[in-house]
Order: sequence, then structure tokens, then C-alpha cells
Amino acid sequence: MRLLRAELRKLDRPLLYGVTFASALFCVLLAVTGASNARQGAQEAVPIPSCATMGVQEGPPCTAAQKRMRVRITVLRMRHLAIATHTAAQLNPAAAGAETAGLMASLPGVLALSLLAGGHIGGEWSGRTLKSVLTACGHRWRVLAAKLVSLWLAGAALIGACWAALAVAGPVLVRAYRLPDPHETVAEAVRWSGAQAGRALLVLAVFSAVSLLAAVVTRSTIGTTATTAGTFIVMLALAALPGTGRWTPATWVQGWMGFAAGQGSITALPDNFWSRFITAGGAEPGRLFGLTGLAATFLACATVAVVLFRSADVT
Amino acid sequence: MRTPRGGLFTVGAMRVIRCEGLTKRYGSTVAVDGLDLAVDAGQVFGFLGPNGSGKTTTMRMLLGLIAPTAGRAWVNERRLPDPDGLSRVGAMIEEPAFYPWMTGRRNLKVLALHGPPPARPDAVGAALERVGLSAVAGRKVKAYSQGMRQRLGLAAALLRDPALLVLDEPTNGMDPAGIREFRALLRALADDGMTVFVSSHLLAEVEQVCDRVAVMNRGRLVEQGRVAGLAAARQRVRVVLDAADRDAARGLLAGRPVRTDGPRTLLVEGADGREINAILGRAGVWARQIRVEHPGLEEAFLRLTVTEEETDATAPR
Repeated sequence: MRLLRAELRKLDRPLLYGVTFASALFCVLLAVTGASNARQGAQEAVPIPSCATMGVQEGPPCTAAQKRMRVRITVLRMRHLAIATHTAAQLNPAAAGAETAGLMASLPGVLALSLLAGGHIGGEWSGRTLKSVLTACGHRWRVLAAKLVSLWLAGAALIGACWAALAVAGPVLVRAYRLPDPHETVAEAVRWSGAQAGRALLVLAVFSAVSLLAAVVTRSTIGTTATTAGTFIVMLALAALPGTGRWTPATWVQGWMGFAAGQGSITALPDNFWSRFITAGGAEPGRLFGLTGLAATFLACATVAVVLFRSADVT
Repeated sequence: MRTPRGGLFTVGAMRVIRCEGLTKRYGSTVAVDGLDLAVDAGQVFGFLGPNGSGKTTTMRMLLGLIAPTAGRAWVNERRLPDPDGLSRVGAMIEEPAFYPWMTGRRNLKVLALHGPPPARPDAVGAALERVGLSAVAGRKVKAYSQGMRQRLGLAAALLRDPALLVLDEPTNGMDPAGIREFRALLRALADDGMTVFVSSHLLAEVEQVCDRVAVMNRGRLVEQGRVAGLAAARQRVRVVLDAADRDAARGLLAGRPVRTDGPRTLLVEGADGREINAILGRAGVWARQIRVEHPGLEEAFLRLTVTEEETDATAPR
């Protein structure tokens, strides 16, 4: 616990505050765009086209065609209204946790944790402070464990900070863009947020473990950041391949978080930046498959990092 | 356990550092080659050698930062690698590094959280006081000069009242006053029973503060002993002759470590003045002057570490 306290004190630095501010700002700006998109869709008045526009002779054929168009437009409006309602639900202060959890468990979270891991873990090599740490504490695995847990806690704090930012901004945006009332109970919203945030914590643990391994291998700030971000981008690219898709951590994250696949994940206010890169073809991995895969990835990365670090020369 | 200053190995004294055949190779390069070393408790032990001689590599091996390729080592009578053995070791290797966004005091507080808690509740304040940094402890480290960082590194090494202090070039960047204070501090620490294992390029400092020294060259230990003994054992005889007699005298002294020092002077290493006088006198070669010199640690160090080729190339003819 003393080591963890030390690592948490090291995180009290401008880098953490900068990344937190940038993440919160990103979430709020995304919410502004999402609310604007939803409003535009809901407000869009689509006129019934004239017979001439449709190229149909006036009379019963045109009346029938206009009737069909009216039904189509009504369905479209209902869909836009549903999207606006869903966006309003996402921006509910209690439900905003699900939105932020989804974002932090996808590419924005990867980038944020890569930056933090670069400074917090890789920086011990680049700043040459690691030798001071190891001469004070020779138990290398404990040092790594404290690093891993502190980075994971920083990720959890990011979710909290972004949730807080959206909780403040969400109601303002719903009112400003006059989005419809979703009639969502607080209990439902909290349950959804809690479930997604809980699942995101496992994903953040995997991101942290990959960062830890990247730091041990590259031994530098830039190397850690670039390798962590690059690893997940490569995983997303591999997930799009028909043969390997099911067996990549990217797909396991999708399955565990319940992200909609492919284009289905692109909505007025996206709840993740991850599964849009994964094609919808083939069977989606279920939650259990995702959980198993992510747990195995976490254990493998943490174990390899400890094994490498225990025998590594620190110069 | 306290050992009298300047004492030889005391019977039953605790060996704070012991190495047997300690070796570190990087590919085909041998950084440290079969080092045998013993440091008793309570000494200030100087670890000397030119750049690249293997001093820092040895220190890193003793601190568990790098793994030896071969050989064994003990620190505080615990066989390495032993993570718990470091709990009574304070160290500063090369230029000390700190977290620049923190103050000096906060850096020490964070370092104090690594490893077992210091015995004293205000260990951080005491360490800062001891190295004379209390006044600037609230400043961020990024604003510290190199000398201040060196002092902070020393404070970090002293946090847990260690039994062994390992310092690698600790006076780098310090001003003369700082070096003087540092010298006094090392002596005070040794008088308190702490063993100090220190490497330095400042041989005059080492000569003044160390009880014993070991000299490394090209990864090998070339000499080990008391500072005074090392310099005295290496006394030399300066023989000043007429220029015409120089070559004849050199021939008479063949087989001894003799070298020329100008057109009229010979230097005979580790020799006795009376004996040299007698050899030359018997052959009718009369010296104008024969003087026994004790060149000091610096000369002894250079003689031990400068290769024969380098000597030949630089010695005046």
C-alpha cells in the first residue's frame, strides 16, 4: 500500500490534469455535436413531394404514391424522434456514466491511458528515476503492480471526471436543443451507467496492462505511448479481418461492452469509438467470451511484463 | 558495528560488501572482470578508476539494478540478489534524477514511501537539514542547480539511516564549498558507524576522506589497500645525473621499473634510495642528486591505470 500511495502521489502532476481536462472537454464537445445532430433530425420537415416531382400522373396513382411517401416520412420522423429521445437519455446526469464508460473503454480511453502510461510508467526510464525507485525497493514485481494499479485508478478517475462533466453539461444541452423527455427513471439510468462503468473498469485494466508491458519493452515515454496506441490500432485492424476477427482483444472489448457492431455503432451521439471499425459480419462475441478473452489478455500482459522486468538491467 | 578510522581489516569485523569473481559482460565487452572486493563496516572506501573502468557497473550490480554474468556478491552479509538486503542501503548512482514537477521535499516523501518506512518520523526534514537544503526544499526540483540535485540525491540516500551508503561521483556539479561540506559530512557519517562506498574522480578528495581505496582499470581490480599505504608503497627515486651518464645509469638499473624524465633525470618506481645510490656508485656513475618521492594518490592512480603504451607515448625522453 505504501508503494501504491507513492505512485498515486506521482500522478498528482500536470499531465494527469491535462489529460483529464482534454477527455472531459472531448466528452462535452461530443455531447454538443450529438445533441445538435439529434435536434436536426427531429426537426427536419420533409414535405410530401408533388406528383410532378415524383413523375407520376395526377389522380389515383399519385394519391397512392403520396400515401406511401407519407408513411415513409412518418416512419423516418419517428426514427429521428427516437434517436433524439435516446440522445436525451444518454445525456441524463445519471445515465451519462454509460456514455463516458463507453468512450473510455474505446479509442479515446486508449489514447488517454497511452499518454498517462507514457509519463507515469515509461517516464521512469526516460527520466532515469527508476534506479532511485529500485534502490529503495528491490521488489520489482511490487513496483510494477503499484504502477499498474495506479494507472488503472487514473483511468477510473477519468471516467468519473468525464461523467461529472457530462452530468453538468447534459441537462443544459437537452434544454438548449429542446430534445424530447426520455421518461427514463433514475434507477434505470443508474443501473445502465453502473453496469457499463463496471465493465469499462475491466477494459481499462487491460489497457493498463498492455501499457505496462509496452513500458517494460520500450523503456521510454514516447515508446510507451506510441506502442500502446499502436497496439490497439493494429488490433482493430486485425479485428476487421475475417479469419482473425473473433480472436483479437478488440473483438473481446466489443463483446464485453456490448457495443453495436459496424455502422450500427454510429448514432447521433456515439457511445463508443471502437466497434465502427469492426465489420458486422459473422457472429458477435458474447459477454462471456469477451470477459474470458480480456481476462486472459490482462494476465498474459501483466505476467510477461513482470518476467521481463525482473531480469532486466536498469541503467 | 564501528571500526576505528583508517583501520585495517578488523578480525571479526562485518564485511558490508563482499564480491567474489563478480563479472559483467555485454556481448563481447567485459565491463567487470572477476572482481574480488571486501569492504569492512565503518570505513569510507574509495572506489577509483578512469571512465569505463567498471566502477558504476559494479555499483549497479551491488544495488541489484543489473544482474552479474558470473560471480557472487554479498551486501550487508546478504547474498545478492536479495531485495530485502537493500533496506539498509542508501545509494546515489550517477547524476541523481527526480520528478521535476514536485518540490524537493515532496520528492523525498515519495521516495520514502518506497521500501520500509524510515525509523524517524521526520526523516525527510532531517535528511534535508543534513545536506543543507532545508531552505529550498519547497522549490520544484526543475529549478534546482546540478549541485542542489546532488545534495538532494544524498538526502534521498540518507533517508533510512542506512548501514551502507553507495555514492557514485557524488560531488559532480558541487561548488568548492559544497565539496568541503560534503567531505566533512562523509567523515561524520563514518564516525557514526556508517560505511561509505564512494567513487570519485577527485583524487585529492578521496585521499583526504577515504580510509581504503580500490583501483579499477578496464574492468579489473588493479590495487586495493589503505590510502596511505598505496601511495607509500609506490614511492619512487628521482635520480638527477649529468646528461652523458644517463644512458649508462639506465643500463645499470635495467630490470627495474625505470623511466626517463627529461635529459638528465631517471625515475625508478618503488625503489630504495640507498640501494640505487650503491648500484650507481659501484659502477662509478655519480648522481648529482638522489631524492625519494612519495607521489601521492593521484600519481599512484595514474601509474596504475595508464597503460604502458600510453606511458611510453607521453613520457619525455
